[in-house]
Amino acid sequence: MDLISLYPTWYEPSVGSGWVIALIATFHVLASHTSVGAALLFAYLSHRAYKEDRDDLLDFVKKYGLFLMVFTYVAGSITGPGIWYSTTVASPNGIGALIHSFVWKWATEWVFFVIEVVGVYMIVYLVGKVDKKTHMKISVIFGIASLATMIIIVGILSFMMMPGKEIWFEEGGYLNGFYGTNTFIQTGMRIAFMFTMTAIVGGIVVATIKDPAFKKEMTRKLGWLGIISTIIGAALFQWYITSVPSQALLVMENRLPDYFGPSIIAVLSGTLAYFIITMIRPQFLVQGLAGGMAILFLVAGLWPEETARESMRKPWVAGQYVYSNQVIGRDVPGMDIKSDLPTIERVGILQAHPFTPDHLKVVNEANMIQSGEFIAMTYCSNCHSPSETGIRPLHRYFPEGVTQARMEKYVKGVLTTGNIAYMPKMPMLDSEVEALSAYLVMNNDGGQPAITAAIAEEVEHRNRMLAAQKATDKVAILDNVQEAK
Amino acid sequence: MDASQVAQITEMMYALRNPAGVPTYPLIFIGLGVLTFALHILFVQLMLGTSIITIFGAFKNDDKWRRLGSAMLEISKVSVSVAIVIGVAPLLFVQVVYDPHWYTSNVLSAYWVIAFIIILIFAYWAMYFYYFQNSKNKDKTVQPKARWSMLLSLALMLTVGFIMHSLTSQILHPDLWKSWYMQNGVMDYSGSTLHAYNLWRFAFFISMAIPVTGGMLVTYRRFKSVRSDADQAYLTWAAEIGKTWIKVGSIISALLYVAWMMTIPETAGDFATSFWGIIAGVMVLFYAVWAQFRLKGEAKFCSYMALPMALVIGLVIATSREMLRYGILNDFFHYDFMDYKIVWDWYSTGLFFLTFAIVGGATLAYFLTVAWQAGQTVGVYTPSPAVDKLGTVVIWIMILWTIQFFVVGFYVWAQ
Repeated sequence: MDLISLYPTWYEPSVGSGWVIALIATFHVLASHTSVGAALLFAYLSHRAYKEDRDDLLDFVKKYGLFLMVFTYVAGSITGPGIWYSTTVASPNGIGALIHSFVWKWATEWVFFVIEVVGVYMIVYLVGKVDKKTHMKISVIFGIASLATMIIIVGILSFMMMPGKEIWFEEGGYLNGFYGTNTFIQTGMRIAFMFTMTAIVGGIVVATIKDPAFKKEMTRKLGWLGIISTIIGAALFQWYITSVPSQALLVMENRLPDYFGPSIIAVLSGTLAYFIITMIRPQFLVQGLAGGMAILFLVAGLWPEETARESMRKPWVAGQYVYSNQVIGRDVPGMDIKSDLPTIERVGILQAHPFTPDHLKVVNEANMIQSGEFIAMTYCSNCHSPSETGIRPLHRYFPEGVTQARMEKYVKGVLTTGNIAYMPKMPMLDSEVEALSAYLVMNNDGGQPAITAAIAEEVEHRNRMLAAQKATDKVAILDNVQEAK
Repeated sequence: MDASQVAQITEMMYALRNPAGVPTYPLIFIGLGVLTFALHILFVQLMLGTSIITIFGAFKNDDKWRRLGSAMLEISKVSVSVAIVIGVAPLLFVQVVYDPHWYTSNVLSAYWVIAFIIILIFAYWAMYFYYFQNSKNKDKTVQPKARWSMLLSLALMLTVGFIMHSLTSQILHPDLWKSWYMQNGVMDYSGSTLHAYNLWRFAFFISMAIPVTGGMLVTYRRFKSVRSDADQAYLTWAAEIGKTWIKVGSIISALLYVAWMMTIPETAGDFATSFWGIIAGVMVLFYAVWAQFRLKGEAKFCSYMALPMALVIGLVIATSREMLRYGILNDFFHYDFMDYKIVWDWYSTGLFFLTFAIVGGATLAYFLTVAWQAGQTVGVYTPSPAVDKLGTVVIWIMILWTIQFFVVGFYVWAQ
């Protein structure tokens, strides 16, 4: 069988499908991490409320819980599967690899999700309706369930960067894929930063507290939580960097935007300053400041961090065996997985792709640009948009006026051989090299309008040919009928 | 379609399968998918039905309807959350055994898939907006504010329902996938179109909101009637509406089911007249018959059975729906999920079922007992020693689960 597992491509020209995933994922990280941190904070506060018989702490839990329910549980619970949806349409084989290796882990996480969702309603709506001891117990269960959702997903996230242990490639096994050095360090780092987020978002609720003494107490509690967790998180981030593959570090050094480092340092310093200032002067803590801080952390902290984690995996998208363009790029004997590359080398990408239309399976003069576009969409568009904007636009990589011959030399010499460390190997037949190069040159020179016009011409030509063929067939049939008479 | 064309489609579907395989028998994923879909759709229908009552109550100048609308809003809010969280499970399981179909369907309508997420968030926020606009007013009989937001919420919820319906329908047409990928002779990478739908099928699942919500109203009366501060006349009125909704709603749904069966794809063969084709419709009608005979008078026990009955009927429908999918994809297109490559993993399989049964079972038993009894108590509820003990046991179960997670992890890591 010459077909490989490749799905249709979704091409989003304005921002690119990769950014769509990143946008949803970043928002989800803020919502989910805040929720998990808050769940543990609620367990602590509920315990204190029970031990010290305090109603104000439970009122705070109720207020913060209701706030979270609307903003993070609603958005968080939807953007969670939302990441599945967005990766499904942008990277089906990437998410498929994770789903098929870790389906039971996700199913186990789901059990804790159900507990979490029932728990958050109980925590909010049963304040004052059940005794404090029972509320404390519900909060503790809710807190542990939330933490469980976090520790489970981190193992899967780590696998995206690299399987837990190298031996997974040879022996397979869920445990070898799930647990590794990176898993544990990343778990610690995420737990630390989730408390930072809880402390920042919690400020929005603390700002509404009327009683100055209670406001001061809660500001200090959240302030200390934020300071300690930020410092621990920053330290663990440094450690985390040591646990990623050397390939990822290379990408990090060469491919990440210049603003990445300064942005992370600025946001961490700003976060610490924010906590210190609000602890010293609780009256400064107003909703606008706390909300602004949450947005700043999202935009200047989480966004670069999540996009960096995404970029560092290149050329892989999952488990160091699925390329970012969905092709399986290496054998995994432990899972009986075979690389797609030999098949593509043998028959070409157009023959190997299950969704190639019949008229594009073999490149010829009449379908050159369409075939080139199909190859570019399959091989390139996940990471490089052929549009003016979008993710790392293709036209930025080629000089103006680049010739067909020069482009073919580049495609054949660099892309089909996999000579760029952070890009997949992309085998092509010579005819496919020619088609892709023709497309890239035209895209470089005339952009989308030129491509659209060329494709329209090819389609018209094809229609003319089909009509002519039909007419010839009709004449032949009539001739046969007359002969038969 | 001739045999060679079918063979090409079969080959394509098998090529798309994920080579990592599945960690246990594929049938188990289908079974869990059916179970969790039935639970998911039950809460979707509850959410829709209770939203309709909330809207009706908001627009009708009637004290009882306004009170009922306000009470049902609480159920609607929780139902959305539960529907979303339970919906994660069938979404997971369909990707495991029907990944070629689910992924293709999604990519070909990618814009709508992304829109689904955004629309659902706004639908939920619109419901909360309505809630916050009116929650502070203790008098639930006055005209509520921001009624438009509840209407908007319902409209958006129906929109996301339709998107999901279409994505699921597209699974059933592998013969059309390639043609959907090419519009007017040109490749279409935009994912901007929903390609397949069956309005009768969609209407059937939505219409089931009527009998299911009827069951909810009957249960609501029974649950609240034991409170010393209960308004029995109001509760009895609500239950009567519920009984009517079960009976009338079941008949409407059964008719829509027949319409769906009359319009299933030709590739389904004679499914409509097969056992699974008929039994789902019969079960929907049976709900009306059951309500007629079992919900007479006080019906102390059967009032509590109204929702479990809806779930049982939902399970039969979910099974029929699965059999229809299997019938089309296996019998006509020769894609059999049962022969998916298995890469056994006993640990993760065992851990899930133990977590599901022990952690999930014990925790939800504790949570629901407390919630149930607190809901029936006027004032502060203090659990019995047995329930209190259950809470302690659940905490220990959770702690032990977390410890085993790290112990196993460190052991594997240190090897």
